[in-house]
Amino acid sequence: MGPGSLWSWFAATRVGRSIFRVGPPQSNLERSQAMVSSFLLHVQPAKVNRHALRASYSLGLGLISLYLFLILTGTGVLLMFYYVPSTTQAYDRMKDLQFVVSAGLFVRNMHRWAAHLMVASVMLHMCRVFYTGAYKPPREFNWLVGVGLFLTTLGLSFTGYLLPWDQLAFWAITVGTSIAGYAPVVGPGLKYLMLGGNIVGQEALTRFYALHVIVLPAIAGLMVAVHLFRVRKDGGLSRPGESADTVQSLALDQLPTNKTYGLMELARGTTPQVGQNPEDEVFSWPHLIFRELLLFLVVVAFVLFLAIFWNAPLEELANPIHPPNPAKAPWYFLGLQELVSYSAFWGGVVVPALIVTALVVLPYVDRRRVGVGRWFARERRVATMVFSVCVAAAIAFTVIGTYFRGPNWGWVVPWRTPPPAMEGR
Amino acid sequence: MDNGSLQRFYGWFSALCVVVGLLTGLGYYRDEYRPWKDYQRRFIAEEVRRAASPEQRQQAMRTPIQIQQILLPELNRVDRCTTCHLAAEDPSYGGYPQPLAYHPRHDEHPFDKFGCTICHRGQGRATTTEDAHGNVAHWDQPMLPLKYIEASCGQCHEAADNPAAPRLARGAQVFETVGCRGCHKLGGVGGVVGPELDRVGARRSPEWLRAHFLEPAAVTPGSGMPPQKLSEPDIDAVVLFMLSQTGEALPGFYASMKVIPSAAQGLHLFQQKGCIGCHSMGGQGGKVGPALDDVGLRRKPEWIIQHFRDPQTVSPGTVMPKFGFTEAEARALTDFLLHKRDQAVALEIPALMSPVDRGREVFRKYGCAGCHGPDGKGGVPNPNAKTAQQVPALTYVADGYTKPELRRLIQGGQREIPALDPARPPPPLYMPAWGTTIRDAELDDLVAYLLSLKPKGEDLGF
Repeated sequence: MGPGSLWSWFAATRVGRSIFRVGPPQSNLERSQAMVSSFLLHVQPAKVNRHALRASYSLGLGLISLYLFLILTGTGVLLMFYYVPSTTQAYDRMKDLQFVVSAGLFVRNMHRWAAHLMVASVMLHMCRVFYTGAYKPPREFNWLVGVGLFLTTLGLSFTGYLLPWDQLAFWAITVGTSIAGYAPVVGPGLKYLMLGGNIVGQEALTRFYALHVIVLPAIAGLMVAVHLFRVRKDGGLSRPGESADTVQSLALDQLPTNKTYGLMELARGTTPQVGQNPEDEVFSWPHLIFRELLLFLVVVAFVLFLAIFWNAPLEELANPIHPPNPAKAPWYFLGLQELVSYSAFWGGVVVPALIVTALVVLPYVDRRRVGVGRWFARERRVATMVFSVCVAAAIAFTVIGTYFRGPNWGWVVPWRTPPPAMEGR
Repeated sequence: MDNGSLQRFYGWFSALCVVVGLLTGLGYYRDEYRPWKDYQRRFIAEEVRRAASPEQRQQAMRTPIQIQQILLPELNRVDRCTTCHLAAEDPSYGGYPQPLAYHPRHDEHPFDKFGCTICHRGQGRATTTEDAHGNVAHWDQPMLPLKYIEASCGQCHEAADNPAAPRLARGAQVFETVGCRGCHKLGGVGGVVGPELDRVGARRSPEWLRAHFLEPAAVTPGSGMPPQKLSEPDIDAVVLFMLSQTGEALPGFYASMKVIPSAAQGLHLFQQKGCIGCHSMGGQGGKVGPALDDVGLRRKPEWIIQHFRDPQTVSPGTVMPKFGFTEAEARALTDFLLHKRDQAVALEIPALMSPVDRGREVFRKYGCAGCHGPDGKGGVPNPNAKTAQQVPALTYVADGYTKPELRRLIQGGQREIPALDPARPPPPLYMPAWGTTIRDAELDDLVAYLLSLKPKGEDLGF
């Protein structure tokens, strides 16, 4: 008895029917009903465009980010059962997770690697959306929500970084918050607000913990909902040749007044069903749903794989009077730290401000609906090149900051063994 | 979706489920398999083998396999060492190979009160050999080699006089004689030329300390500290003493062990309480009470300690007041009277000493010998110093300085030492400003001592 028949058997039982309403769908009508009648599935349309299913187009990066977020939520709750946000206990709790809690280290590994992966997948997702021109009208606002999600993801990762309270955590946050402190006017105040003081201490740990487990996940969850909702309302995934129509304005005075209007008549606009060739559409059940399920399993398997073979780092207990040399920010801020090493003003203020501003105004500046739905469209050569140069620069600075910077932020070559530490134990 | 692709989906789905299942299983296995469980099984097997009766056998077999830990909230420690070292308290396991060996002589320091890592260091929370023994990255407290284990006694006990830790006592003695305090602060007393040593035992490994004493510049490039010419045992002893300086703040019960009765503490009390005002030793002191030179021969220890508790109970009508010594103090004083080694002890009582002798003590206390050599004879290298690349000897200060000049020089120090060759790095050693660290009375004595260093009857005849 395969999983398919087991499923069919359960769905046909009295309990199964009470849950699913529709049995295992056999006809197209039932396939639509299956999608609409389920809370989890009705977020998605009953039918999707074939183009949206092409893995080579979307690379599944948005979904991967979502799945990682779910994994992080699950493992994060488990970690919360053991974690105490106290400077005197947090580090000991990390050690207990490793040495006495069943699967404690395993869950922590999963959480750590999924967090890094999520930052990476969100960034890649943004690149995909840019290269396929998917942020162009009518999807400008969803790009904005995406930028918000990107920043929230960085915030989640950054606040989580402090919680183990080891040297790595302490000094990464010290460096990261000092970068924020370089901003003019608001910088020092912002830093003070984040840390609840002038240095990283108990106040900072309390704040970061509250942000990490409540505030930022709630914001992220809400924005994910909005993001997904808008994906549907904006007509599904971007594809070549779609119409730019969004909600059409109704000239109310032109409408006959001697009849009552139903909701569907007033709220017209872009939905996957509008103005499209039925031949291009397939039923979400099973085409979309099953693919999503498979991708989920792949993501889970990959995170498990990482968690089994690589342990999350844990250095010495945080020691405010013994900075490691060099003290490095989390990897996604190392590009900025590298820039800060040239000029605090440029690296700490101008570049990050420029990046965020550029991301925010992008869909409102670059509005021409050309090349939407295709990777590296010829018509968008200039945009593609400019963006690629920025991405390449970001990668280059990050790689330099990560691998080529040693004591006193001096140049080191990673494949050559460094000179022995002057002050050993 | 036609049947073919549905089939393909089920294929992928099943395969991925198997992969996720296998990975979960592998993760579970790696988490579940822990070497300490093997050690516990070995212990249980041994217990079963030794069982004398079926009941004992049954009981041994029912021993649960579980983590053992000693909670020491006061010391902020959780020691799980006994998870593997299960037989540490069972003398019948004497001579067994580790991890099942018996820990001899633990009755004075019961495990449930002290745990393990307070003496042995390592990582108490860890439950794998490498992590627990602490020889892993990112753990800066590896287990102390047994050779240096006496260092741990110094965390709670006075280093100077602990019969159970003779090498620690020797190390403390070497530290004071060589003059380390001239440059280094320890416990708030000492110079500022070199780094403070209050936490050095937690920061440095035995190997580092050893290498550092033999050739300081080899491990700390640019260090101006002169290499120490000490015998092998003395090097080890002073390394051991350094290792005992962990700076760990010991709470309540453990800190109280600092006043564990010892002859050294007794001597200290003897000097402090002014016993010499009434009693004499080595012919010096008051005549109101009896001389104490051979009191150990005349009286039993029980009598002496009772005398400290309340003199009237053992010698009615005595004029000696009841001082209200604590039990530990009474013990320490008794210890001192019974074990004082020679007559010189009386000379260490400041009130009875000449200014020159007291000055010699001051010279020793602040480690002047570290740079100026024993008895101020010099010979300590100070590369690139105009004074023959050495720290100047003090033998002839009487000729070059007046008393006020000497006082001013000691109090103000000399930060800039004239260089022989201005192009080379400045001389690393300099005279720190002792300011008010050396108290006024001490300074008078020190100056008297320094002026006395000039060999008698010698005149340079300038």
